[in-house]
Amino acid sequence: MPRIGVFVCHCGENIGRTVDCARVARELGELPGVAHAVDYKYMCSDPGQRLVKQAIAEKGLDGVVVAACSPRMHERTFRRACSASGLNPYLCEMANIREHCSWIHEDRQAATAKAIDLTRAIVEKVKRNRPLEPIRIPVEKRALVIGGGIAGIQAALDIAEGGGEVVLVEKEPSIGGHMSQLSETFPTLDCSQCILTPRMVEVYQHPRIKLLAFSEVEAVGGYIGNFEVKIRRKARCVDETKCNGCGECQSVCPNKKVPSEFDQELGRRTAIYVPFPQAVPNIPVLDRESCALFKGRAKGFKEDACGKCKQACGREAIDFEQQDSFVTEKVGAIVVATGFQLYSIGKDQPTPQLKGYGEYGYGEIPDVIDGLQFERLASASGPTGGVIKRPSDGKEPKTIVFLQCIGSRDAAKGIEYCSKICCMYVAKHTMLYRHKVHDGRAYVFYMDIRAAGKGYDEFTRRAIEKEGAIYLRGRVSKLERAGDVIKVYGADTLSGEPVTIDADMVVLATAVRPQPGIESLAQKLSISYDAHGFINEAHPKLRPVETSTAGVFVAGACQAPRDIPDSVAMASAAATKVLGLFSNKELEREPTVATVNESLCTGCFHCERVCPYGAVERRELKDGEGNLNKVAAHVNKGVCQGCGTCQATCPSKSVELQGFTDEQIWAAINAL
Amino acid sequence: MKELRQIAAKLLTDGAVKVVIGWEEGPRGARAAFVTRPEDAERLIFDARCVQNLATYLSPRRRHVVGLGKAAVVAKPCDAKAIAGLIRESQVKREDVVILGVRCGGVVREPTMPASLTAETVADRCGICETREPTLYDHLIGEPQPEPPRVTRREEQIAALMQKTPQERFAFWSQQLERCIRCHACREVCPMCFCEQCVADKTRPVWIESSSHPRANFAWQMTRVMHQAGRCVDCGECERACPVGIPLNLLTRYTAQSVEKRFGHKPSDDPSIAAPIGTFRSDDSQEFIR
Amino acid sequence: MATEETKAFEPKIVAFVCNWCTYTGADLAGTSRLQMSPNVRVVRLPCTGRIDPLFLIKAFERGADGVIVSGCHPADCHYTAGNYHARRRFAVFREIADMMGVDNQRMTFSWVSASEGNKWRDVVNETTERVRNLGPFTEYQSLSRD
Repeated sequence: MPRIGVFVCHCGENIGRTVDCARVARELGELPGVAHAVDYKYMCSDPGQRLVKQAIAEKGLDGVVVAACSPRMHERTFRRACSASGLNPYLCEMANIREHCSWIHEDRQAATAKAIDLTRAIVEKVKRNRPLEPIRIPVEKRALVIGGGIAGIQAALDIAEGGGEVVLVEKEPSIGGHMSQLSETFPTLDCSQCILTPRMVEVYQHPRIKLLAFSEVEAVGGYIGNFEVKIRRKARCVDETKCNGCGECQSVCPNKKVPSEFDQELGRRTAIYVPFPQAVPNIPVLDRESCALFKGRAKGFKEDACGKCKQACGREAIDFEQQDSFVTEKVGAIVVATGFQLYSIGKDQPTPQLKGYGEYGYGEIPDVIDGLQFERLASASGPTGGVIKRPSDGKEPKTIVFLQCIGSRDAAKGIEYCSKICCMYVAKHTMLYRHKVHDGRAYVFYMDIRAAGKGYDEFTRRAIEKEGAIYLRGRVSKLERAGDVIKVYGADTLSGEPVTIDADMVVLATAVRPQPGIESLAQKLSISYDAHGFINEAHPKLRPVETSTAGVFVAGACQAPRDIPDSVAMASAAATKVLGLFSNKELEREPTVATVNESLCTGCFHCERVCPYGAVERRELKDGEGNLNKVAAHVNKGVCQGCGTCQATCPSKSVELQGFTDEQIWAAINAL
Repeated sequence: MKELRQIAAKLLTDGAVKVVIGWEEGPRGARAAFVTRPEDAERLIFDARCVQNLATYLSPRRRHVVGLGKAAVVAKPCDAKAIAGLIRESQVKREDVVILGVRCGGVVREPTMPASLTAETVADRCGICETREPTLYDHLIGEPQPEPPRVTRREEQIAALMQKTPQERFAFWSQQLERCIRCHACREVCPMCFCEQCVADKTRPVWIESSSHPRANFAWQMTRVMHQAGRCVDCGECERACPVGIPLNLLTRYTAQSVEKRFGHKPSDDPSIAAPIGTFRSDDSQEFIR
Repeated sequence: MATEETKAFEPKIVAFVCNWCTYTGADLAGTSRLQMSPNVRVVRLPCTGRIDPLFLIKAFERGADGVIVSGCHPADCHYTAGNYHARRRFAVFREIADMMGVDNQRMTFSWVSASEGNKWRDVVNETTERVRNLGPFTEYQSLSRD
């Protein structure tokens, strides 16, 4: 016979007012297997907990039911109390007679009857509870950081500084991300490269950071503390171990007309190239699409059409035959920091929800550019050496119109959210422009100015009040080429007047979107993402850098539009989470996971199909002589999160979720 | 028939299989045959009386059959769907079975009936079946077959039942299940019921009471049919095996109709097509959810 | 006997809910002091994915007049997909039950999020009212004599 203790809490008046707690205790006390039943004013108080502890010791209880508030409130409290008196904490459960009873009913009789039912069901369940021990799993003290922008760099450096090892994967030839393209940064107007490049070099030189540039995550297996990640190292056609970054290959490459991705196609590069002079690693990549040799091979030429770079290389580092290779890294934690891309106003859109801007010429008017292109024009290391020239004819624009919220905050164009960074960088752009073109006029069409942040409002006010930017509240209905100028047809909603401006150049603050391919990466990592592809945090307020998968963290603009300080703060937060994880020798996890009764399992693997975490494995069962008996399901306790979908799906009920076994639920239903 | 016997004999002679599971003439019509010697292949027959779904003998639960060694099995299109089900659900490996697919023009209701098909004698399921030959086979045997007589009496029965009030349906099934003796023949004969221990035999806890009263029988049939949803190949064996004549196919067929309507899924003999329960689409209809 | 007959029928309803959304939503209803009918008994499960049709059958066997299954809205599942599996499972189960004569009016399926205390109250009240109008599930309960 079990010996269950029932402890009914009055919660002051909260429960006692509508539920006859003494009667609940009395009736439960008469239930077979209940060895002890009392009611008390405040069960969660010290004296209340002492009642529980004493009863366990004195009455030899083998199960405890506390009828009080929601288990979400105090289950941990009472389990700890039980643990302190030597009772396995998983033999203690709560019946919720406050939130689910006394607070929502006025009829004392009905509420008392319900409280008795609810408590009886939990008593019957607890009779069938089993002692459980926390699951301990080892932790690999190595982290994978995906994305080498400022967020990834910060996370990698913080983790490495904290003693962890880091594998940093970047899909582009160099780390640095979008921040390396920026000219100056708001609200201080300090040079982006000046603050970023030392951090990039630090990453490269750090003894605990392994940098895998021009690489992508191919597959992810395992679970928190024990991930196994397969990484594709894309073929550079350059042997990284031999190259010393001298640049000879670039200088001899005959194709010097390739649009430069780094310069947002406003500048040119060679076919074999380093994206920018400060690139890390400073190792070129051969772009096969633009290379005469590979173009020739694709056409079936018998002899290679070029090979100048290979001849020029003194280190014999160039290898035209190089193929993609794969490495596998074992890591304990993963930080996703893949950053953003800008929405394009063109006709071709990745999803039907997103619409381009026909009214702005679908991106086909040459002097209508986006914010990142303007950054390159304003950058001292950019294609114009920092002189503002318009792309079509190189003329210095005397009038620039900046349009905010292009794509953002416009459900009709497919994006409802605010891209957050645009108000600030447009203000910055007007200033950079006016610093370079003193007689230039900068107009800004805006919906609202969102400048919440330290020094941010001061910054936008400075653009308007001190630096002469003309802000017009309203939208632009149409952009039209008219000879040398672009006609900007807008409305100033504050004066109620239509406005037409002849602009030399138009800069669009286009929406921030997650990187292409984020969905497939998220699926590999089993983390969730929203309708736009931004990674979902585990909780919007309380767990902002965790994801739905334990051990996978998120930082920067892949989670939502973020500026640099936010991205860095998030990256440091994620790094702290990783280091917290690494500070344990082993991980302790809740033991409420599924286990398979292998002798009953028929191996139909319905459980494998429904498991959201891929926790079900196939295990061969052999007899004493090593002959295969059958293949049965096995649940990896490290991966299982305890949803129990497997058990409801299993036709023979050969898998059981600990803490919510069929016997426990059956008993609870029977008692109601 | 000659072709079937030749292939069976050759498979046995070559040692490619140890047993050929087919049909033979029995005292009460066509019955299952287990041929292990090449000369016995002459016993094999195939005609419209070959009602039984032989896929059930491939289930690992049939240890005495599995113990004979690698099997070849004669399979009508509906039998092939069951074999595909067993492969899909990891009970049988494709390479471990030789499938002798037969073209099928429908079968009679009982193997004791004469082999000629009329609207009267044709099995309910064949009356609406559109599959004349399996696509899952190693050998495809026989001439192309004509369509069986089209009958829809079972569909009409279902429609009529669904016209009634829930209370009337409950009364109908209570009456039917009153007769159930819980022999579990419906389970034993089913090719897709292959659990080592059925949930109905579980004692900790007892979800389904083992005694044969209507309450337990309701629980049993609801559970059995639920487990068959999207998996049932409509071979009709459960109803045929029922010694007290409960119209079990009304349940399985109605469930199949619902599954098809909701998820666009029909049982198929392609093992790579997943059953609809155990997978999902994020935009599945949820008109019944508040 | 006359007193027996005049005593109003109070339905017994068992609710199977997930821990993360509906149970928390029901907690919120409590903390918001939303009054609702006392006929519903909640059984807490980690996820709707854990809810087995056998639970519903057992509840009816044990005299429930109605049942509620409630969990997280699509895309909100704490375990990412348990509710999607449950949705398919119960889409089919309710039709099987309907075929066998278990009035679908006796079963409520709902998505109630952790912030929808109001909705939980409505689900509870509406189900209770609906089942009260149907009357006791005597058909099933009368099967119980064995």
